[in-house]
Amino acid sequence: MNASFTNLKFQEVSMTSTNVLEEKLEKIAEINGIKVYNIKSNRFKTNTINIFFQDNLDKDSVALNALFPSVLRRGCSGLPTIKDINLYLEESYGAVFDCGIVKKGEKQIIHFYFEYVSDKYTSDADRNFQKALDFLLNIIYKPALQDHSFNEQYVEQEKSNLKMLIESRINDKVQYALDRCYELMCKDEPFGLYEYGTIKQIENITSSELYKHYKEKVSTLPVEVFITGELCDSDIEVLKNSLDSINRSAQKGLLSSIVKKYVDKVSYFEDAMDVNQGKLSLGFRTNITSNEDDYYALLVYNGILGGGMHSKLFQNVREKAGLAYYVFAGLEKFKGLMIIAGGIDIKERDHTKELILKQLDEIKEGNITDYEFKSTIKSLETGIQSLKDSQLQVVDFYLSQLISQTHDTLEGLLEKIQRVTKQDVIDVSKKIQLDTVYFLTSEA
Amino acid sequence: MKFETIEYKKYDETIYKYEHSSGLKCLVVPKKGYYKKHATFSTQYGSVDNEFVIPGEKTQTRVPDGIAHFLEHKLFEQKDGSVMDKFAALGSRPNAFTSFNQTVYLFSCTDLFRENFDLLLNFVQNPYITDESVEREKGIIGQEINMYRDDPGWRVSFNLLDAFYKNHPVKFDIAGSIESISKITKDTLYKCYETFYHPSNMVVTVVGDVDHIQVFEQIEKNIQATEKTSEIERIFPEESDSVNKIYVEQNMPVSTPLFYTGFKDNNFNLQGLEILKYDLAVKLIMSMIMGKSSELYAKLYDKGLINSTFEMDFSIEKSYAYSMFGGESVNPEAVKDSLIKEIRKFRSNGLDPQTFDRLLKASKGRFLRQMNSVESISRMFINLYFKGVTMFDYLDVYDTMSFDYIMDVFDMHFDIERMALSVVKGTSK
Repeated sequence: MNASFTNLKFQEVSMTSTNVLEEKLEKIAEINGIKVYNIKSNRFKTNTINIFFQDNLDKDSVALNALFPSVLRRGCSGLPTIKDINLYLEESYGAVFDCGIVKKGEKQIIHFYFEYVSDKYTSDADRNFQKALDFLLNIIYKPALQDHSFNEQYVEQEKSNLKMLIESRINDKVQYALDRCYELMCKDEPFGLYEYGTIKQIENITSSELYKHYKEKVSTLPVEVFITGELCDSDIEVLKNSLDSINRSAQKGLLSSIVKKYVDKVSYFEDAMDVNQGKLSLGFRTNITSNEDDYYALLVYNGILGGGMHSKLFQNVREKAGLAYYVFAGLEKFKGLMIIAGGIDIKERDHTKELILKQLDEIKEGNITDYEFKSTIKSLETGIQSLKDSQLQVVDFYLSQLISQTHDTLEGLLEKIQRVTKQDVIDVSKKIQLDTVYFLTSEA
Repeated sequence: MKFETIEYKKYDETIYKYEHSSGLKCLVVPKKGYYKKHATFSTQYGSVDNEFVIPGEKTQTRVPDGIAHFLEHKLFEQKDGSVMDKFAALGSRPNAFTSFNQTVYLFSCTDLFRENFDLLLNFVQNPYITDESVEREKGIIGQEINMYRDDPGWRVSFNLLDAFYKNHPVKFDIAGSIESISKITKDTLYKCYETFYHPSNMVVTVVGDVDHIQVFEQIEKNIQATEKTSEIERIFPEESDSVNKIYVEQNMPVSTPLFYTGFKDNNFNLQGLEILKYDLAVKLIMSMIMGKSSELYAKLYDKGLINSTFEMDFSIEKSYAYSMFGGESVNPEAVKDSLIKEIRKFRSNGLDPQTFDRLLKASKGRFLRQMNSVESISRMFINLYFKGVTMFDYLDVYDTMSFDYIMDVFDMHFDIERMALSVVKGTSK
């Protein structure tokens, strides 16, 4: 339970220009095992506080972890109903509060988020940071209880809402075709789990079991807190006192993922629904994760292949052949996967698949034009620089760095990408293996 | 060079406004310290403009549905290849979209702003369309249409528009239908272009860490037209005040039914600041009746009749206006009935001034939050510019909004006779 102020910075800070401090991650405290980071920024009109709990993605806990945050969101000490919470947020100049579940590789992450207007723009004398922090900690550690356990009605309602959320996955066909491909490809691995669990798992949850699970998790799961915006000394004092008073036990150690997988044969899956357009997904094993040296070459490879309008997929499958309205490639960097997805005419399935695979062969054979290569590098540069204009995206970037145990800054990432050569891309292309083909087609 | 500077010191924002001799207006919002620069070049021409008088002709022309969107796709193609390749070589992200009332061309970059901006101004002014490229695009847009046909969220909202409007073209899919786009020809595309893509009918916005004088100089250098043209005559069909249908239902593979209900509003003949006032007032009342802090929301959420997908919106344009409330529900009819009951209750008991104050405060805070993003600022600007106002005019409207006006608007918009309900549900097995 020792609080320590360590000023661990990820990069040397120059004191000559205030702009240099922007978007840099600074660890400002470690209290009770809870690590707190600050990303200074004075050009936004709002600040954010983000609290992340990390757990292993596991079939025995996935649904419980997805459910308890939505129960917490229903009420806390002082604000026991959703109406009370929303009244409070409205009073606080329309502050935004939410919680969500994210999957990063084989980690399930619970995110609590609060965004509020900076002190500069509100006429109240009170301190918006303290109010925001108190609110979040109340939500997490002082939920509205009934007989020393979760409110039964809240649990039942949120179970029902979560089931509806899972059932509604089929509504977004584009996303569904991506998720199904990955889930089928990794059905024997933790990555194949949907981060909100299954209907059956949710139905079996009892209120007392959920409460016990919640109590254990919030006192043992690794926690990271990211605050964007400027903090003054009294804010840091408030932080220290608030985090000090939380009950924490020995922190749980999390597992690493098994990434390497060599594909002996390609699997095929198909689903049929009442649809007009077919959705084709191709799942690949890259066997390269974000903490490996050739990850940067993989980023460039993915960009050339399917990372935008300049890419081989867009130019050949959409523009030249007119086969798809959307077609792109995307990486899952923690698990070493890549997916190519497109919305096509059902009868063009095989033709499109051949044309897509041809683009991969082109890269393997070294057929990368200067235009394709340079545009990709420029596009990645623009993407990294653009990220800095969004507080949430910067937080997400640094959270991912912590999870993959890399210590890149945005500038560092940029430099490594700029050093990638065409040959590096060709070398990396040889590691990519097609694992699974998935097609969402019509019932007719 | 003459331009106007408007400062909003309390909020650390400024706008620079400039008008070119061709009638083109340009708005620059400087955002010091931001990495992204976002520029848009838009025309006041959207999917609703399917009947108009071509300049020089005497009678009106009706064009196929979806042509504004089709033209947007085609403009990217130039004689020497696609303009997207040129943007890609500059490292920027080009994009475009067509809405009911506008077509917008844009790019976002973190470097080489000058070069990217020249490119944007030039390609939009220089269409190059061939019969072959028109045929090829029909395949791509056909896929886009099918993608939207499979999207239940998209369908449930368009079906509500069909329920509201018997004739008004806002009810037609922005991309048209496979059938309507098959009728599009190179000639018709050029006719639409010549009618609507004159700088008098267009606006440029730039948001980011830029030098506004340099931006205006680039406009001077790149805009080809030098004189204003006359107002374009747009023709809209007769539309009755009442709704077309009270209920529309479509079967699609969804788990929980989706619904939208709302009010058809005939009070759209407003100008300038009046539009902002009305828009804000309707939205505040919507929140008072069914926002997250309302009694009705809590009641329906607790009963499991709505969930966190529930949302509300209001649209007001030159020739139409409507509100939409909806999301997932196991019983959309029950939600609509509860809404009606609540409106009747507020009619007899009156709205609460304290709730109004609190919601006004919250709305202002949310508005400030939108100023964090160059894209949000651009989007709001384009939408409002064609109505003769800027997004910063909202700040005045916030400060002068009165509870009396709210009560008037409550009577004007929330007319139960003008309600309709659209539902998308799965087939029962």
